[in-house]
Amino acid sequence: MFCRWLSIIRRRRASPARRRCSSARGSTSAAEARAAALPAQAQVVICGGGIMGTSVAYHLSKMGWKDVVLLEQGRLAAGSTRFCAGILSTARHLTIEQKMADYSNKLYQQLEQETGIQTGYVRTGSISLAQTQDRLISLKRINSRLNVIGIPSEIISPKKVAELHPLLNVHDLVGALHVPEDAVLSSADVALALASAASQNGVQIYDRTAVLHVMVKKGQVTGVETDKGQIECQYFVNCAGQWAYELGLSNEEPVSIPLHACEHFYLLTRPWETPLQSSTPTIVDPDGRIYIRNWQGGILSGGFEKNPKPIFTEGKNQLEIQNLQEDWDHFEPLLSSLLRRMPELETLEILKLVNCPETFTPDMRCIMGESPAVQGYFVLAGMNSAGLSFGGGAGRYLAEWMVHGYPSENVWELDLKRFGALQSSRTFLRHRVMEVMPLMYDLKVPRWDFQTGRQLRTSPLYDRLDAQGARWMEKHGFERPKYFVPPDKDLLALEQSKTFYKPDWFDIVESEVKCCKEAVCVIDMSSFTKFEITSTGDQALEILQYLFSNDLDVPVGHIVHTGMLNEGGGYENDCSIARLNKRSFFMISPTDQQVHCWAWLKKHMPSDSSLLLEDVTWKYTALNLIGPRAVDVLSELSYAPMTPDHFPSLFCKYALHVYNEVMSVGQKYGIRNAGYYALRSLRIEKFFAFWGQDLNTLTTPLECGRESRVKLEKGMDFIGRHALLQQKQNGVYKRFTMFILDDHDTDLDLWPWWGEPIYRNGQYVGKTTSSAYSYTLERHVCLGFVQNFSDTGEEQVVTADFINRGEYEIDIAGHRFQAKAKLYPFTSLFTHKRRKDDVELSDLHGK
Amino acid sequence: MGGAIEWKGLSDPVTSQSWRGARFSSAPAPPSRGPLSASPPTRHCAANQEAGSAPARTYGRGREAAWRGRGAEWAGRGRGAASRTGLRGRNAEWRHRCRSLLVRKKRAVFCRARRMCVCPGPRRSGIPIRSSSLPLFSDAMPAPTQLFFPLVRNCELSRIYGTACYCHHKHLCCPSPYLPQSRLRYMPHPAYATFCRPKENWWQYTHGRRYASTPQKFYLTPPQVNSILKANEYSFKVPEFDGKNVSSILGFDSNQLPANAPIEDRRSAATCLQTRGMLLGVFDGHAGCACSQAVSERLFYYIAVSLLPHETLLEIENAVESGRALLPILQWHKHPNDYFSKEASKLYFNSLRTYWQELIDLNTGESTDIDVKEALINAFKRLDNDISLEAQVGDPNSFLNYLVLRVAFSGATACVAHVDGVDLHVANTGDSRAMLGVQEEDGSWSAVTLSNDHNAQNERELERLKLEHPKNEAKSVVKQDRLLGLLMPFRAFGDVKFKWSIDLQKRVIESGPDQLNDNEYTKFIPPNYHTPPYLTAEPEVTYHRLRPQDKFLVLATDGLWETMHRQDVVRIVGEYLTGMHHQQPIAVGGYKVTLGQMHGLLTERRAKMSSVFEDQNAATHLIRHAVGNNEFGAVDHERLSKMLSLPEELARMYRDDITIIVVQFNSHVVGAYQNQE
Repeated sequence: MFCRWLSIIRRRRASPARRRCSSARGSTSAAEARAAALPAQAQVVICGGGIMGTSVAYHLSKMGWKDVVLLEQGRLAAGSTRFCAGILSTARHLTIEQKMADYSNKLYQQLEQETGIQTGYVRTGSISLAQTQDRLISLKRINSRLNVIGIPSEIISPKKVAELHPLLNVHDLVGALHVPEDAVLSSADVALALASAASQNGVQIYDRTAVLHVMVKKGQVTGVETDKGQIECQYFVNCAGQWAYELGLSNEEPVSIPLHACEHFYLLTRPWETPLQSSTPTIVDPDGRIYIRNWQGGILSGGFEKNPKPIFTEGKNQLEIQNLQEDWDHFEPLLSSLLRRMPELETLEILKLVNCPETFTPDMRCIMGESPAVQGYFVLAGMNSAGLSFGGGAGRYLAEWMVHGYPSENVWELDLKRFGALQSSRTFLRHRVMEVMPLMYDLKVPRWDFQTGRQLRTSPLYDRLDAQGARWMEKHGFERPKYFVPPDKDLLALEQSKTFYKPDWFDIVESEVKCCKEAVCVIDMSSFTKFEITSTGDQALEILQYLFSNDLDVPVGHIVHTGMLNEGGGYENDCSIARLNKRSFFMISPTDQQVHCWAWLKKHMPSDSSLLLEDVTWKYTALNLIGPRAVDVLSELSYAPMTPDHFPSLFCKYALHVYNEVMSVGQKYGIRNAGYYALRSLRIEKFFAFWGQDLNTLTTPLECGRESRVKLEKGMDFIGRHALLQQKQNGVYKRFTMFILDDHDTDLDLWPWWGEPIYRNGQYVGKTTSSAYSYTLERHVCLGFVQNFSDTGEEQVVTADFINRGEYEIDIAGHRFQAKAKLYPFTSLFTHKRRKDDVELSDLHGK
Repeated sequence: MGGAIEWKGLSDPVTSQSWRGARFSSAPAPPSRGPLSASPPTRHCAANQEAGSAPARTYGRGREAAWRGRGAEWAGRGRGAASRTGLRGRNAEWRHRCRSLLVRKKRAVFCRARRMCVCPGPRRSGIPIRSSSLPLFSDAMPAPTQLFFPLVRNCELSRIYGTACYCHHKHLCCPSPYLPQSRLRYMPHPAYATFCRPKENWWQYTHGRRYASTPQKFYLTPPQVNSILKANEYSFKVPEFDGKNVSSILGFDSNQLPANAPIEDRRSAATCLQTRGMLLGVFDGHAGCACSQAVSERLFYYIAVSLLPHETLLEIENAVESGRALLPILQWHKHPNDYFSKEASKLYFNSLRTYWQELIDLNTGESTDIDVKEALINAFKRLDNDISLEAQVGDPNSFLNYLVLRVAFSGATACVAHVDGVDLHVANTGDSRAMLGVQEEDGSWSAVTLSNDHNAQNERELERLKLEHPKNEAKSVVKQDRLLGLLMPFRAFGDVKFKWSIDLQKRVIESGPDQLNDNEYTKFIPPNYHTPPYLTAEPEVTYHRLRPQDKFLVLATDGLWETMHRQDVVRIVGEYLTGMHHQQPIAVGGYKVTLGQMHGLLTERRAKMSSVFEDQNAATHLIRHAVGNNEFGAVDHERLSKMLSLPEELARMYRDDITIIVVQFNSHVVGAYQNQE
């Protein structure tokens, strides 16, 4: 069956004229695929009849949105969905991905019962093999996280692996992760089942209908132009898979969806002499870069090679589609790896080498959410070859997003708005996916920086800092210094520096932190997003007072730290706002807020011409002076006294000049450069939460001890005020807490990263969100949220007493370390040097 | 290197270093030879000190290090550690080792090896160890070796000179007080037949020694072979503008493999900045490298000046006159080992200036079109004339005086290509060759020769020579396929021995420096020397209009052409450049193939592929084939290793210096030109 489909598609693709209007597939119950005329209007139009589109349609219809039209240019489930290897694996690195996969698993399992369409669902379980200790650590981290969200899994010995799978060579293994509830199934059938269920719920499905472009008026979706006519609609969902990028750009108001396809190969064999049982577990051998599942008595095996072949760089390309052929030479390393893992397969006969392009994104996470440029334009694409695993969950979150305005989980990590404009260039994407695809099976270690597509945006001081030994990290396309390597010191090569333990820059950052505490350091923070809001009258103040929770009606020259909240009181942004004059404000937000915050402001600001919002990120270089002598340096530079009460705002035009002056004046105060790692250590030991890591749209100021930054009674309503009032009355259900690891050996033990489970009196209560080594406390500090689950699993109010009266442990890759919980920072430790600049530090959102 | 030169025409423009790449000074140089000897002398020391015990340490990047290390090692084996002076022993050892491989080829190559028979045969055998060769290296010293000079001091100088360093090069390039020994009398050509006889004696000699030393197989490892082959490789890609290459040239790869020490071949490549087009050339020196060096430095300036329009010449002259900055004329594309001599730059500049001044004066203001063919011929002739004049006039500076004489008394052939859009001109003097690689419609490769060799194999050249001299000289002017029985190329730069009258030669030699006077070769007058000049530098210019199927041009010295057929050359380069080595993809189709079978097949294919991908440079790839090809036309690593590990005093017997430039054309641009018209 499978092969026949393959051949059909191959032939179709070879004939361009027929590609867009291929005949309906006979074997599908064509009930859902109508040839009738399109409706003139609908609430939602979904483009793409793969697993993503059908899942969104399914969930929308379940949530009560029935006026939905799904369009597919060819046949349903005929794209990447058709070629998918059919492995559902919950062993993912991100908790949100684990949750999506877990939901998908549960959904697919009951789908056959619900729709009557066979999906081939078999619960085989999956085994991820570790050939090295580092890989085993990585698997143990996944294991800890899986367990706390209720997915059974365990770390097993090689011997146990051999028992579970008869053909495996286990001699080079050090261990494995077994997830018994993982499954294999046919993704095409899943998509058909979802479509059929959706169609029963009222969703109209049209195949052989291609979307040409989306009609946009005033930044709002108004309809869809197809090759069969127009449909008016309020919402459009782009689930076009590898064509999503092209489709996004086809609008008048382009929507950039940064993804790029790569060729992906897997092998199909004929059945084994004694056909493999259908319950044989799926094997993932990341060190060998391959996956292996049983398939019709034989095996299906593919992998993610080191030298990927990007494809469709210039969009849909007939030549490339025709050339999608088996490339055995390219597959050779994976085949070697397969035969090393299962030597007995040598005699197995080859059926086919399948070449199915998969889409990848610049950071290996899928893309979902609403476009920042066009309201009502939603995207769900870029699955990094995990479409089947994520399909159910991602479709559900997107449907929730559309129906309720926000998903039930924090999906910032997957939000389309995490990307900036520069990250959607074709060249960038092509280079980056060539790095991302091998990374699928590379060891994922803390603080990994992508190597390709760098230097998209740099500070004017980049060359200056680079010459002084700066090592760079990238955030939102912006280069930021991590730390400065002294001239006499060498760091390890990139590959060797991968570690879960103490990193090689430990001493470097220590000296930078020390300098911040004792003298003065300068950090280039130009990457921060900077907006200016001005108005002719008081409109700017009015709208900002409505959007932000703190009171912004402060004297000119003052800086206010405030949250930008949503209706639920959760943080949409956490920023500093300076009042430049009566009618203009300067807003400083985290780097990756550039797109998100802009979209939020644009959405909520009245289209009033008297109100001007300008992105001035490019216009300013930001230098941050940290340390007890910072005031001295600045006073000397500006010939003006600087005290905590009097801090004149200075804007200088020549960044390089200022930097040089600061460095030369600062010399006698012991000034030096510092990087973001030092800043991160400082902010975490000061218990300072950072948006995007600790804070997200589901956390409120009350939950992280920031009542003082919320002025509930500032005299006017603001977004989220109602929710906060209610929360104040009812109490919070989670509390941001700081943990100091007690019995942790910095040199010998695994370092915490983020996402480690927190145990209170042996009970799971939450996960860490960030961690760093505190050079002051000489301990590791983890930040995280503590919840209070009742015996039945319900969330209960978390009180300070609850936090204080527990014994805590942090689980790092299966090893639990004792930790002390704190609700407030160690002020006493810092008071002896506490000055204005220390207060400023906490306002600068160092990450 | 390769930067656009700027003539800062101050009061004395020539003193500005930028006129030529200042990578050469007359400071006493370390006792290693030629552009290849860039390996640190410390290695030599180590090799010599630890002869036989730790040879692996000596296999440095430079082939010399490898040779020396090995030489020392074997000397150590044969004679014990005391044989530091055992050069003779080393040679003998070597001969014996190489013999089995090369005995068949020896006779044929041996005569061929010496383009200039004046230098008698045995010069490469039984070389005495010299300890006073220090100043001799001053003319051929690449910059890197100078950096090592301080290191040399730390070693025992005497030992280095006594063992590792000697100059066996008896040409004017490296004259030596030891030359006037009895070995160096003129040996008329027929003597070559008998010359081989002494080698039979070697055979006996070495044969006897075979049992004294442990027979062992020695091979260079593939990385060592690569480091030797790639030491001189250079690639240039024409920069793209706005993502597009608008030049008809995509770029070029060049490389050279020495057989002489120092190498006598030279190469040059430069972009004309005041006119369009690119110049590329290979120069094969004989009787030393002085002439080929001078030609490689100077010829492109002469050509560029000849191509310049009147106004530009005036502008340049005015700039020089008023001490203003000059327009850059050429942008050189040079390998770090391609050096320019600093000392002579002023002299060369003055000669060049005189040339353009004459061009300015000669201009009648009528014709504005400059004929490239004519310009090339004029430039060649003018440069040769200047070389000759400079030697006659001499120079008050004794070093320069000696230099110009060495340039004039040695010789060089030249093969230069000028590419401007679709117009390809090849100017050739001597026996280097320009070959065009043409891809036929069926994908196969054919070779189009764009130059004629000027040697005895060329009937028209024989005819020309006979016509230019009286009938009674018809038999003596070409003997043994050589000009006057001596010189293989029939056209060349320098070689004033074949150009000046006997009187002039004697006068110049007598008034010349002592070194010249002591040199037997320079004093020697060719036999039957009645009606000079017998030799000219006038090139034969071929014009070719590029077509889209013309994919590349190979310029190479005869070292390549005598080892490989032109058809093979074009095929190897063509397949290399178009990636023909990418084999046909495998498809399973309907066959029954098991995973194991497929795996075996793929592993085999990958092994094959990796050998091709070793080279990133077409010229290197070609040299690999030229030196390492076995009778089946495939590169044989064993053979390659043996050939490359020949000690330098033997290398010349088995191959000549090889210099190759492969220019790749841009078919799109060439095609666009064609469509325009």
